[in-house]
Amino acid sequence: MLSALILIPLVGVLVLIVWPGKLESQTAKIISSVSLVATLVVLALLASRFDLTTSGFQFEELLPWVEPLGLSYRLGLDGLSLPLLVINSLLGLVAIYITDPQLHRVRLYYVLLLVINSAVAGAFLAANLLLFFIFYELELIPLYLLIAIWGGARRGYAATKFLIYTALSGILILGAFLGLVWLSGNSSFDYDSGLAAALPLAQQITLLVALLIGFGIKVPLFPFHTWLPDAHVEASTPVSVLLAGVLLKLGTYGMVRFGLGLLPDAWMALAPWLATWAVISVLYGSLAAIAQTDMKKMVAYSSIGHMGYVLLAAAASTPVSIVATVFQMISHGLIAALLFLLVGVVYKTTGTRDLTVLRGLLNPERGLPFVGCMMILGVMASAGIPGMAGFISEFLVFRGSFLIFPVQTLFCMVGSGLTAVYFLLLVNRAFFGRLAIAPPTNAPQIDIVLPSVTWRDRAPALGLAVLIIAFGLQPNWLARWSEHTTLALHEPYQAFMLDESRFSSIVSATQPAAIANTSPIAPALAPSIDVYLP
Amino acid sequence: MINTLPAVDAATHPLESFIQKLLGAEALLPDSETNRLEVVGILKSYGVVLDAYSKNLIYIADHQFLVLFPFFKYFNGKVTLPQLLRHWWHDRINFEYAEYCMKTMLWHGGGKMDEYLDSDDFLQRCEAAVAAKLRANLPMRALHALFPDFLPEQVRQLVYYSALGQFWRVMSDLFIDLSDAYDEGKVITIPEVVAFIKAGLVAAAANPITYGVEIDGTTYDLLPKSAGLTFLMDVAVPYVEAVFFRGTPFLGTVSYNAQANQISADQGRFEYGALYADPLPIGGAGIPPTLLMQDMRHYLPAYLTAFYQSSGRGLDDVRVKICQSFQKSMFCVTSASLQGLLPHPADTQDPGERAANHAFLAGWMDRLATSRLDVVQL
Repeated sequence: MLSALILIPLVGVLVLIVWPGKLESQTAKIISSVSLVATLVVLALLASRFDLTTSGFQFEELLPWVEPLGLSYRLGLDGLSLPLLVINSLLGLVAIYITDPQLHRVRLYYVLLLVINSAVAGAFLAANLLLFFIFYELELIPLYLLIAIWGGARRGYAATKFLIYTALSGILILGAFLGLVWLSGNSSFDYDSGLAAALPLAQQITLLVALLIGFGIKVPLFPFHTWLPDAHVEASTPVSVLLAGVLLKLGTYGMVRFGLGLLPDAWMALAPWLATWAVISVLYGSLAAIAQTDMKKMVAYSSIGHMGYVLLAAAASTPVSIVATVFQMISHGLIAALLFLLVGVVYKTTGTRDLTVLRGLLNPERGLPFVGCMMILGVMASAGIPGMAGFISEFLVFRGSFLIFPVQTLFCMVGSGLTAVYFLLLVNRAFFGRLAIAPPTNAPQIDIVLPSVTWRDRAPALGLAVLIIAFGLQPNWLARWSEHTTLALHEPYQAFMLDESRFSSIVSATQPAAIANTSPIAPALAPSIDVYLP
Repeated sequence: MINTLPAVDAATHPLESFIQKLLGAEALLPDSETNRLEVVGILKSYGVVLDAYSKNLIYIADHQFLVLFPFFKYFNGKVTLPQLLRHWWHDRINFEYAEYCMKTMLWHGGGKMDEYLDSDDFLQRCEAAVAAKLRANLPMRALHALFPDFLPEQVRQLVYYSALGQFWRVMSDLFIDLSDAYDEGKVITIPEVVAFIKAGLVAAAANPITYGVEIDGTTYDLLPKSAGLTFLMDVAVPYVEAVFFRGTPFLGTVSYNAQANQISADQGRFEYGALYADPLPIGGAGIPPTLLMQDMRHYLPAYLTAFYQSSGRGLDDVRVKICQSFQKSMFCVTSASLQGLLPHPADTQDPGERAANHAFLAGWMDRLATSRLDVVQL
């Protein structure tokens, strides 16, 4: 059944390719949407049969493939991948819905979108390291083409930069996987959390560093982030939505699944450094966002900052913080998608994203009042205002990480405050004041008439906003799927914490208190979600 | 040899072209197909709304005299449940706008009426009316004795209610007549529109402005005919000054910081009136046009609705469009008023009179330099 998630979009691809005659944009949209709606139906079926109390893979599928290489077609679904698969299909639908109907090369465009969806689903489902790598690489090519063909003026540069960075990321990840399996004397690349148990710590750390850099490029984390703002600025709005909402999550998913999941000892050894890296990334992303005058770049840098929270939470790897990684991935996916979508609407309507000229877009008669309201809601969610998904995820991150890394957590909280700063700058500049889309001049000018935004364009933003609020008010609707999986990821950490003597040199003075605090959380967490809520 | 800069021609005003237009019986607004349609159409709906405003202002002045809690002042004496429900549902004319205009006139003053309201004659008449009104109201009589300035100020306000009501009565009929003349093809161009309004203003110029209130069967003349107050100079001109030019800074949506000296301490230098209003942030300057725009929206002639529908956002931003058209029409009314107020005939050949006319218009043009005059030319 899991294969359906990969195959259905590919069936859509096939239909698009063999569709006779000229393929109209509307037809292509319908075919692609039907494919993704079908994947959502499959996901709903899977969710209805999903056992919340099982921490390991469910609905496993195994098909031997190239056995001498240890490559098998092994798929599995757990609480970590299920929410990400849903958001993959959901944002894929949003991307299809908001695609410009006047687009050129319709057939290729929708084929690429569906291939991305299929590849990302494959990566989230893969329970074999090589299979993951194949899907991970497979998604790069269509994304490269989507930026290079339908992007902005500097699309060639941005697409190539993206390709070079992420290809390098792929090489590092492949190297780490090969090293992990070969050094552990295994012949199979199947996912096994005990794979590295026998390896010396130094080897584990080396492998983890390669994985961290590899996935760090994808996330992206400072200083491997420079491809992202360029890619976002040049990419069209649907591609930006996918990039921020889904594709970056492959990086954080990889870190948690393979870094924390396969190399827990090394993870623990590096955890304080990872937390510090998270702080640098959060603060850098936030401060860089403050300096931006392009709305889209500001949102792109905010992504860099917000993905840093995932690393902090993963570094702390307490029961609460690991749930927080999933929650933050989903909430950031929704919020970033909403923000990119709205920036796209502003750009389409006004022809600019320049914060030095945009003013007063909240004007009720001639501006974009609905878009403005949604934008304010989106930035409030991003800044962690209670009542929205961003608050829950940030609260979980900070609550889960504070006792392990208090200093780093406090610095990340500063980053959260900075989110409010740069997004208020954005809202204040672009949405308040007298309506303007060009610099003021002395010459008299006719009052601006902006085209109005139709409900068709408003609908996806409204849908995302509803989800953001729904998960903000009922976080257990999302967290319940991941609880047990994340607890399993936490197990090595618990063992490690109890065995203080082994890594006494790394254990900080704060950790005894952390043990005392986290231990009672775990049992409380298992039966109920109450612990997540203040 | 010393080269000196040529002396600046003192006669050349930066807005000289507009002065010449006014002297040549043209308008401050260019004559174009759309301008005609907008100006006449909007004045038609303005006429309908002014009719309602005027009736209500006069009703309040006559029947709500010193009613300290005038809960039903907008009902013109007909309070029924359906009317109350409509009022609360806000399916009604925004009479508040008329009151804003009245208060703006009261605040800025000007003209002989303002002088008369400060005279002893008026105070005596006022005291007589107040005494009659409070005959059976002992607490109020005590309060009046303690604060003798309060009730006369209320009466002055009621005088302005009545005066503005009388002014708008004339203007309402004038604008409806203009629309009829346009429909019949008698008035076509913008200069003809201006000439029509000017003729109407001049015809009513000497109409007396009076106000009397009946208390217990006795009529108390508060503005007697003997005060010699007339329509044009004592109400129309202060109205134009207060509403078109000066306006009020605090009733708009743009916030001004008085402590930061963003508002002139000299009321004479206020520029918040209708000719300066920014239609984009609705109510950005002057009396919030929003209420008036909402009211006019209901009475637009079909051709103007179709015109608005066909451009930009259609009727979604109709209040902005109404405000733009209204501003254009107010430049026409201003043109007519200035031409009507010229000290000498516009076509005089006497150089002294010509210079006086020019100087008169140059003074007004100085004030219009920062108005939306340049935008309505586009």
